[in-house]
Amino acid sequence: MKLIFAGILAGLMATTAAKADEMVFTSWGGTTQEAQTKSWAEPFAASSGIKVLQDGPTDYGKLKAMVDAKNVTWDVVDVEMDFAIKAAKDGLLEPIDFAAVPKADLDPRFSNENAVGSFYYSFVLAWNKGAVSGEPAGWADMFDTKKFPGKRTFYKWSAPGVIEIALLADGVPADKLYPLDLDRAFKKLDTIKSDIVWWGGGAESQQLIASGEAAFGQLWNGRVFALEKDGADVGVSWNQNLTAADVLVVPKGAGNKDAAMKFLAAATSPTGQAKFAEASGYAPINTKAKAEMPADVVKGLPDAHVDGQINLDMNYWAEHRDEIAKRWYAWQAK
Amino acid sequence: MSVEAQQGIATPRIPAGLGGLLPALTLIGLFFVVPVLALLLRSVTDPSPGLQNYAALLGDGTYARVFFNTFLVAAVVTIVTVLVAFPVAWMLAIMPAALASILFGIIILSMWTNLLTRTYAWMVLLQRTGVINRALIGAGIIDQPLPLINNLTGVTIGMVYIMLPFMILPLVGTLRAIDPMTLRAAALCGASPLAAFRRILLPLSLPGIAAGGLMVFVMSLGYFVTPALLGGTSNMMLAEMIAQMIQSLLNWGLGSAAAFILLVVTMALYALQLRLVGSKRAAGGA
Repeated sequence: MKLIFAGILAGLMATTAAKADEMVFTSWGGTTQEAQTKSWAEPFAASSGIKVLQDGPTDYGKLKAMVDAKNVTWDVVDVEMDFAIKAAKDGLLEPIDFAAVPKADLDPRFSNENAVGSFYYSFVLAWNKGAVSGEPAGWADMFDTKKFPGKRTFYKWSAPGVIEIALLADGVPADKLYPLDLDRAFKKLDTIKSDIVWWGGGAESQQLIASGEAAFGQLWNGRVFALEKDGADVGVSWNQNLTAADVLVVPKGAGNKDAAMKFLAAATSPTGQAKFAEASGYAPINTKAKAEMPADVVKGLPDAHVDGQINLDMNYWAEHRDEIAKRWYAWQAK
Repeated sequence: MSVEAQQGIATPRIPAGLGGLLPALTLIGLFFVVPVLALLLRSVTDPSPGLQNYAALLGDGTYARVFFNTFLVAAVVTIVTVLVAFPVAWMLAIMPAALASILFGIIILSMWTNLLTRTYAWMVLLQRTGVINRALIGAGIIDQPLPLINNLTGVTIGMVYIMLPFMILPLVGTLRAIDPMTLRAAALCGASPLAAFRRILLPLSLPGIAAGGLMVFVMSLGYFVTPALLGGTSNMMLAEMIAQMIQSLLNWGLGSAAAFILLVVTMALYALQLRLVGSKRAAGGA
């Protein structure tokens, strides 16, 4: 859905003057940003006196436009991790000031010099119990149209996830996924191409599964969590769940860097992470956060499913982002 | 002003009321011409000076496919819109004015509803588990849901629906200007209704069809939301591809080049139409 907002000029946003007691936080909107506002921005504003303005949705084109034009109105932005690594290389990000942001308890998988984790999530296999007979056991079943007929839904954009799923389903062992064998992945995807319905955003993935429009699919675990909470009749398999992360970054030349760093410290603190995880079903990136969370919420996190869990390789993706994207969209358009 | 206007009348070479155009020209110059030039500049300088962005676009099968899709969808949408709009416009042109204005209101009303809302509504109607398929299956007419969405059918239905007012309005103007006596005369001379339509009504309404058709075609070329939501990935249109390049891949040079090609093609089509139909008619005059 993020693409719907394409073409809105970054310049439209360029009027907020940087004030020391004010900063702008930008994320993807919807339930995720609401949880971030409640768990991070509001308590932070109350304790620091720094007003946190919300903007969104995250738009990489806009971020680049702001940095290029040296008119940066976003102070902290929630982005996907592979983008963060690429953006850091392109000089679009400020380094994180780890004197202000305590690093010791941050999960090292999801933080680096230019980004700290926002939350992490898993791609899981979810299905509509009314539309599927039996229980899909793993990614291979998504490619078995005889055993499991019906439409299946996958993430539409070129991003870590679907390629890996195709390779795993084709029998590639988890530790041999990288470097990705794109030819093999697309060949495998070709076998079910006409049965694929693509989802472009989280709400769409929920709608497809809940309505039975797609019998099953690859979903973000937080979205399945929300469906279950709403009482939808969905099943979920955590077998070979694939982790990826959103991270928080500070665009190069952000107007209020100091406030941004203080915000990052609050957002990544055990309390901030625990509250957000409880509200969203996504996993905390601070290893101390779980101690502050109710036991039943901890049980539903990707953390509770580390057996067979696979970490999508963000560094590999950051390096090959453009070349994979080109093949991805070419394949989709065929 | 008035002096200028008088001079305008006195010397025909300076069109009257040129001063009145200034605000509009300034707006268009600042917010359209300048950005388009910046776009052109970026397309030949980013990431390095040269025509490599254009070479990449024109030499690649995928991009060629997207260009082809874009024109295919725009053409199909335009044709279907004309076919649906013509009878409606004719009814509106000949019915009593009071009734016609109510119907006009209904047609215009649809344009006041948010585009995204209308497109989502079509998703609810068209999907496999949607209202239309359920009704047809419930009535025993079909066994399997019809593929109405994520393909060309979905895009066409959604876009024709949105484009209809843009076709109906110019067409009604043209049709109203046609003297109904010409049709009566044709009938008196022994022409069948079909012949009267083909030899009188259709030729006389061509300027309206051309004006509406061009508007629909050009708007369709750059359409984004509806194809993105109702189409499949194999129906990707240029606007969506440009958005990907700009937003997701951050390849602004390539995106600018694609946008500029779309602009040039659109303007070429407009020029072609001016030549074929004549400028006065293309602008909607009857």
